[in-house]
Amino acid sequence: MEALGTFGQLLAGGLLTGLVFALVAVGLTLVYGVMDVVNFAHGEFLMLAMYAALGLALVGLGPLVGLPLVAIAMFLFGIVVYRVFVRRLLAGPPEATVFGTFGLLVLMQGLAQALLTSDYQSVPSPPLQGTVRFGAIALSQATLVEGLGALVLTAALFAFVEYTETGRAMRAVAEDRVAATLMGIDVQRVNGLAFGIGAACVGAAGALLMLSYPVYPTAGASFALTAFVIVALGGFGSIQGALVGAVLVGLLEVFGGFYLSPELKMVPVYLAYLAVVLLRPQGLLGRR
Amino acid sequence: MTSARPHLLALGAIAALGLLAAFSVQSAVVLDLVFTLLLYAVLGQSWNWISGYAGNISFGHAIFFGCGAYASALCVTHGLSPWLAIPAGVLAAAALALATGFPTLGLRGHYFSIATIAVAALVEAFVRTSHWLGKANGFELPIASGWGALQFGQKGPYVVLALALFVAVQLATIALERSRLGYYLRALRANHAAAASVGIDERRTKLIAFAWSATMAAAAGVLYAQYTLFVDPPSTIALAVSIDIALIGVVGGIGTLWGPLTGALVYVVLAKAVALRLGGAGKGYDLVIYGAIICLIAALRPYGIVGTVVDAIRRRRGAAGTIPPAATPAETAA
Amino acid sequence: MKEVRLRVRRFSTVLAAVFALTAAGGGVTHAADPPEIVIGSILPLTGPSAQTGAGLRTAQQLAADLVNGHVSYPLPLVGKSGLPHLGHARIKLVFADSQGKPDQARAAAEQLITQEHAVALIGTYASSTTATASQVAERSGIPFLNPDSSAPGLTARGLKWFFRTTPHDGTFAENFFQFFADLKKTKNIGVKRVAIVGEDGLFGSGASDAEEALVKKNGYELATRVSYPATTTEVNAEVQKVKTSSPDVIMQASYVPDALLYMRGYKQQNVEVKAILAQDAGFIDPNFVRTLGADAEGVFTREVFSLEIKHRNQAVPLIDQLFRERFAGKPLDGNTARDFMGVLVLADAIDRAGSTKPEAIRAALQATNIPGKLTLMPWNRIHFDATGQNDGGVGIIEQVQNGKYETVWPFDVSVKPVIWPMPAWKR
Repeated sequence: MEALGTFGQLLAGGLLTGLVFALVAVGLTLVYGVMDVVNFAHGEFLMLAMYAALGLALVGLGPLVGLPLVAIAMFLFGIVVYRVFVRRLLAGPPEATVFGTFGLLVLMQGLAQALLTSDYQSVPSPPLQGTVRFGAIALSQATLVEGLGALVLTAALFAFVEYTETGRAMRAVAEDRVAATLMGIDVQRVNGLAFGIGAACVGAAGALLMLSYPVYPTAGASFALTAFVIVALGGFGSIQGALVGAVLVGLLEVFGGFYLSPELKMVPVYLAYLAVVLLRPQGLLGRR
Repeated sequence: MTSARPHLLALGAIAALGLLAAFSVQSAVVLDLVFTLLLYAVLGQSWNWISGYAGNISFGHAIFFGCGAYASALCVTHGLSPWLAIPAGVLAAAALALATGFPTLGLRGHYFSIATIAVAALVEAFVRTSHWLGKANGFELPIASGWGALQFGQKGPYVVLALALFVAVQLATIALERSRLGYYLRALRANHAAAASVGIDERRTKLIAFAWSATMAAAAGVLYAQYTLFVDPPSTIALAVSIDIALIGVVGGIGTLWGPLTGALVYVVLAKAVALRLGGAGKGYDLVIYGAIICLIAALRPYGIVGTVVDAIRRRRGAAGTIPPAATPAETAA
Repeated sequence: MKEVRLRVRRFSTVLAAVFALTAAGGGVTHAADPPEIVIGSILPLTGPSAQTGAGLRTAQQLAADLVNGHVSYPLPLVGKSGLPHLGHARIKLVFADSQGKPDQARAAAEQLITQEHAVALIGTYASSTTATASQVAERSGIPFLNPDSSAPGLTARGLKWFFRTTPHDGTFAENFFQFFADLKKTKNIGVKRVAIVGEDGLFGSGASDAEEALVKKNGYELATRVSYPATTTEVNAEVQKVKTSSPDVIMQASYVPDALLYMRGYKQQNVEVKAILAQDAGFIDPNFVRTLGADAEGVFTREVFSLEIKHRNQAVPLIDQLFRERFAGKPLDGNTARDFMGVLVLADAIDRAGSTKPEAIRAALQATNIPGKLTLMPWNRIHFDATGQNDGGVGIIEQVQNGKYETVWPFDVSVKPVIWPMPAWKR
């Protein structure tokens, strides 16, 4: 009976963990889908969002209240980065986007260390620190909110891409850039918007994560690493894929941690990634 | 393909300079800089083979470096000659490259890059949980002296060895550029589909390049271990080390012969300069500078310092195809 | 062809120029003038620990300045205007950056020995950088004083020239069990099963290894041992493992993000234990209490130093004040206090040696015997055993009481009584 309780707890924990990962991964997959760019600085965007949320919290706007502000700020940031930088990368050889965003990673980490120090900083007395119980299963309020946020974000993004004009334009560009241009779609504008929205998603993620984590210059790194794997696992460009991939990774990590060993908990995740791309190169739900 | 002569001449000049330094310079500080420079250049060139010439950017290259370093540590702590570590580390690295490259080298760029990160993480987890590999503690190599022990009290012999390794790697790269393998790699980068239709097996070609690239990194790893006398996961196989290697390759110029040396030069000089000028304040200024350089290079001059120079030279000569061939965005979208 | 040859020549010239410059640059900083004695210090001045490195540097420089100065404090060799037995020669600290990397630390050590002609070395904070730097010192026959690296293996290498003032992880783990033994004298603490949790890096695994060995040695049961990757973003499985092993106490070595994750996890999962004993790091970071609030109450952590030992070590508040003036108001802490003392110990040894010859300094170090009261540390004394380890070192244990870290052990330096067991999780 106790084993069942433990199993249930692990299952719930794994699902929630997966949803938190999805929160971070969803912005990444949109950008890839539309413009074929894996933003290797994704973790640093997350870190920036977390610092922004912290800043707002320190002037009284807690993470939940500050979330829309952070998302908007990140949206604008994303558009600027696209216009000034990513656009030029796209005009170069394919490797340019890889090491361009990699350079952005290094630059942002350096700036964070230089301007904000490498000290851990967290929101003082954050809200939602209580516990919610479902029978024998206990879950953190903050994590539940983060998970819920992930579902809402994924649904909203999916709806946006499926049902709005701009979203359709994005899908068109994702499918065939040349044809989209011929149809009169301003690809640069669509790209910029996609990058901005992707950044806004990361912004929302960062604000929510401040409920449970401290921020420091390399805080985004471990989330980003998992996000890359998830996006590749689920299929680059597929929003549903990111959600499915994330939940899968969360479950693998938690169950791996318990039934294998915590030191090796990432092993099933990475192995699963390698297996999936070997057997199904486009990922679980990807199209190309 | 341009004549190899100017490159061979340059290499000869560097070798002569290096030998001169090794035998005449007294300052341990300068010799250490030269050694570090050459070692990083070798690592950068090894990375260049797979990320530059083959076009599959690796963010997990440190594991091959680690193969050599750990081979050295294991040999020495088990009473074997460190010279054995060279074939052992090199073979281990090649095997690792073949095993990990086989499933992933048929994949498109991003998948491969992420796969290299995944593989590196797996390797690190393996090392950290294996007693015989020292777990998190790593190994400290006991002090010894002489060619038999591959350890020296003076720096001169180390510089000579690093120089020898560098020269060997440069010669191999010069040969690569003019070999069939190099030709296949260039064809693959120019147009996957066309290359395949001519019968070039992408996976097999790249696997060969990958394996060779791994062996070079492993050789550097053995030398590093014999020099530093300390091997542990953070200093040899962590993601940060892979990123440093990639940094050097990118800054210098991906896919160029002299890129890695240039990148290593910038890296070493910058690290020292930053440490001297801005050190002590606890800031990440060196990271800011590297990051800015890489961003600028990526946006404005994607071929790095050397690539830009080569390009300028070709332009002056009035050659038609100025930029090294690579797949255009339209083709990779296929 | 001409352009290419030109390029090649230009390139070689650039290389040669770089060599020449660095050689010249190296030559400019020559050895100190005769009345100054150079001590080389290797610290992480750049890289991830750069902030800590800056503090250590300030503390060491403060110590050197006090040795060279004429104001007295209840500390060895302070305020005598230099080293009396060497004609009041002054101490000069020359710093070199380890960048937090073992190979750079090695290069730094070589630079300090061959270029700066340091008579002794001090450093380097991280155990991996200390390992390589001290090897250089060993090879060159120069004394190396390590004030702040805690990996037990450093003094198990059979080195002749290596001296360590700080206690290591083994000692700190022992402190937990001595604490239990002391508590048992007055009450039944009900401890049988011990769960050990540690991150899988050098710090965590070193602490966990030491703890595990002592659990068996002291007749306790190991409930479970959990080792996890420090960069993890969740600890569901780990907390379940601890919970299902039904421990009486948890001994933990974690950094800030993971410490927070575990504490919240323990609370959510109702992991009720008599005590959580932490090994410093994340558990003493200001974020810990600030973020957890009431949930941090009752947690024990070993510490290296406390400002509250001032009734025993009278120099503490005075040095703390001086340090704050130099370091943006930040108080003295375990790292800076140890590094401060490290410089004093070296200076004291050089003075007693009455010579700058390495062998003389080494002999003087071996004869060191400084009573704990005359240091900044809660130690019994500074005296090196045959392996170069200070055998008088001891940690202290603090407990979070009303949001503050109060020293509760050893009982002769304690400020508040122990609250045992830890309070239950507040709902």
